[in-house]
Amino acid sequence: MGDPKLARLLEHPAIWRGRSAAKREVLPSGFAALDEQLPGGGWPRSGLIEILIARFGSGELSLLLPVLACLTRATAARWCVWVAPPLMPFAPALNERGIVLDRVAVVGGERPLWAFGQVLSSGACDAALAWARQPPARDLRRLQLAAERGRTLGVLFRPRRAARESSPAVLRLGLEATAAALRITFLKGQGSTHSVVELAHPHQPEDA
Amino acid sequence: MSLRPEQSAPPRPDESAAVVPSARTAPRLAGLEPASSAGEIAPELWAGLHLPGLEREEKLRELATAMQGFTPRVSLEPPDGLLLEVRGSLHLFQGVDGMRAALLRACQDQGRPAVLSFAPTPMAALVAARGGQSLTVLRRAQLTGKLAALPLSVLRWPVPVVERLRRTGVRTVGAALRLPRAGFARRFGAAQLATLDALTGSTPLVRRLFRPRERFRRRRELTCELSNHDWLLNALTPLLEELEHFLRARHSGVMRLDCLLLHRLSPTTRCVLNLAAPAFAAAQLAGLLRVQLDTIRLPEPVRALELRAATLLPRGAGAQALWRSGEHGAAPGSEAHELIERLRARLGAGALHGLTVLEGHRPERSWAVSEPPPLSGRPPATAVAAPAVPRPLWLLPRPQPLEERAGLPRRGGALTLASEPERIESGWWDGGDIARDYYTALDAHGVRLWVFRERRAPHGWFLHGIFG
Repeated sequence: MGDPKLARLLEHPAIWRGRSAAKREVLPSGFAALDEQLPGGGWPRSGLIEILIARFGSGELSLLLPVLACLTRATAARWCVWVAPPLMPFAPALNERGIVLDRVAVVGGERPLWAFGQVLSSGACDAALAWARQPPARDLRRLQLAAERGRTLGVLFRPRRAARESSPAVLRLGLEATAAALRITFLKGQGSTHSVVELAHPHQPEDA
Repeated sequence: MSLRPEQSAPPRPDESAAVVPSARTAPRLAGLEPASSAGEIAPELWAGLHLPGLEREEKLRELATAMQGFTPRVSLEPPDGLLLEVRGSLHLFQGVDGMRAALLRACQDQGRPAVLSFAPTPMAALVAARGGQSLTVLRRAQLTGKLAALPLSVLRWPVPVVERLRRTGVRTVGAALRLPRAGFARRFGAAQLATLDALTGSTPLVRRLFRPRERFRRRRELTCELSNHDWLLNALTPLLEELEHFLRARHSGVMRLDCLLLHRLSPTTRCVLNLAAPAFAAAQLAGLLRVQLDTIRLPEPVRALELRAATLLPRGAGAQALWRSGEHGAAPGSEAHELIERLRARLGAGALHGLTVLEGHRPERSWAVSEPPPLSGRPPATAVAAPAVPRPLWLLPRPQPLEERAGLPRRGGALTLASEPERIESGWWDGGDIARDYYTALDAHGVRLWVFRERRAPHGWFLHGIFG
C-alpha cells in the first residue's frame, strides 16, 4: 500500500473490501495493554471468540466487563445475554461495574448450545456469553456463522485443554490467574499468535 | 388563434341540463325524501329481523356476527329476533330499499329466510317483523297508524293477559294503544304498559349491544394418519393461513395459540405457543410450532389437527426500520420478541429472565429475577451506585461450608485473606437475620473468592461468591 492518500480513502466505511483486507469493526477492551495486542485494536464487534480458562473464576468475566458495560450503555443497546451460566451472576456487582441491568437477560435450562445459537443469530443481542465443556466442532462453526449473522459478540468459555483442538472462532485467548495478575495468551487471532499479555488483576485494590 | 383555450366554447345547454336534475334527485336516490315534502327521517332507524323457526341461540349469534357488516349496533332478541340500528349506514346502501335488499340477501346466504321491518323505535321494528309484515316506517308520526292493524300476539304477552284483553274486545295493537293509560298498568300489568311505551318510543328501550365472540377454532381431519413433523406442519399450514386471515380482518393478534394433535387412542397431544407480542403471521407461527413440535414425542400418529386462539389482542401496525438492528446504531425491533418466543417454545416459559437490584444489605436479598427487559430504543437510565467495597460477580445459590485449619478457611489448600473484613449484620426484623464478616480470599490457583465467617457460634467459614 504505497499511497497514504489511497489508504486513507479505503478506510471510508462506505467502501466494502474483502474480509481479510477490510478493517473489522472493533470494541475497545478497556485495557490499553490488551488493545495493543488484539487484532484491530479491540474485541471484534461480531463473531465468536473463545476464552480458555484453567479454573472457573480466574478473572475471565472481569476481562469482559468493561466492554459489556460499554455495550449496554449505548443509546440503541441490545441485550447482553448469559446463556446457562454455571452460577447466577450477582446483579448488584454488575450494576456497580457499570452494566445496565435493563439490558441483561439470563437464559436457563437445557440445550445451552442450541439456545446460544438462537441468541447469537437473533439480532437482538450485542453480546452473548456461554459456557461449554466439549462442544462438537460442527456446532462451533454454526455458532460462528450465527454470531456474524446476528452482529453479536459471542463469547464461549471453555476449559484450557480445548487449546489442542482447532476452532473456527475469530479469536482464542488462554487465561490464567496468578496472585497479582491475569496472564493472557493469544492462541488464535489475525496477526498475533502466542504473544502473552499480563494485566494487573482488575479486582486488585490500587493501594495494595 | 381560434384554437386558444380561453376561446373554447361554453358548455352546451344540454350538458348542464343533464347535470342539474341528477343533483336534485340525489337525496331521493339515497332514500331520503326531501324535508319540505314529507318531514325528516327519524334520528334512529331500527331494522327488526324476525327469523321464524330459529331456536338455537348459537345460530342467532352467527347471524348477528354476519350482520356486523351492516352496522356495529346489533342486539340479540332471543329466540328468533335481531335488532339493527341502521340510520348511519343507509347512505352506504343507497337508502332503505338498498338496505332491505342487502339485509335479506345476507340472511338468505346464511340459509335463514327472514322478515324485515324498519321503524324509528326498536320495539316497533321487532313487533312489525314478528307480524310477518315488511313494514317501513320512517317517521314517528306514522308509527301508531302503521302498527295499529297488527294482532296482539306479536307483542308476546302472557296468554292470560291476551285472553283478558280479548274479552274486553281488544284484538289489535292499535286497540291496545288506545286504552286509557291510567288503568292499563293496574289491569294488565306494568310490564305490558312498558312494552306499549317502548313501542311508541315514549320511553326508550335499552338494548345490550351484541359483541361477536372473538375466538378462533378450526379443526382439520386428516385423510391419512401422520407422524412426520414436516408433514404435520404442512397439514397445519392451511389452518394457520386461515388464522392469519381471521386476525388480519380484526386488526388483532394472539399471544397464546393452542395446537391440538388428536390421536386414535392416546390422549390428545397439546402444543401451546406463548408469544411475547401479539402475532398473526402464518409463517412466524409455523416456525414457532416447528420448534415446539421438535420437543414433543408423539405417542402415535395424528389423525386430526385443531387450532384454538381464545383471546385476541389489538396489535399496532408494524413498521420496518431501514437498518437492521445493530447496524449503524439502529434500535432493535421485533427481534427481541422473536427470540423470547423461540426460547420459550423450546425451553419452557421460564427460559429467559432479567435481573434487578433490590434494596438491602444481605447479599441473598439484594437481587431478584425479573421479566426479560423490553428493548426500547431510548438510552437506559444510568443510576450506578458508587462501589464501596467490591462485590463478586458470581454468587453461590447458598453459602458453601469450608474446612478450617488454624483459624483459616481451606478450599483445596489454605486460602489467604486479601482484604479487611466487611461486617454485614442485618435482617433481624424478618427472621432471615445474618451476622457475618466477609473477606476476599485467594486460593492456591489465584482465584478470588468471597468468603465469610459467622459471627455466631460455631463461627464457621463459608464460601459465598467468586469474583470471576
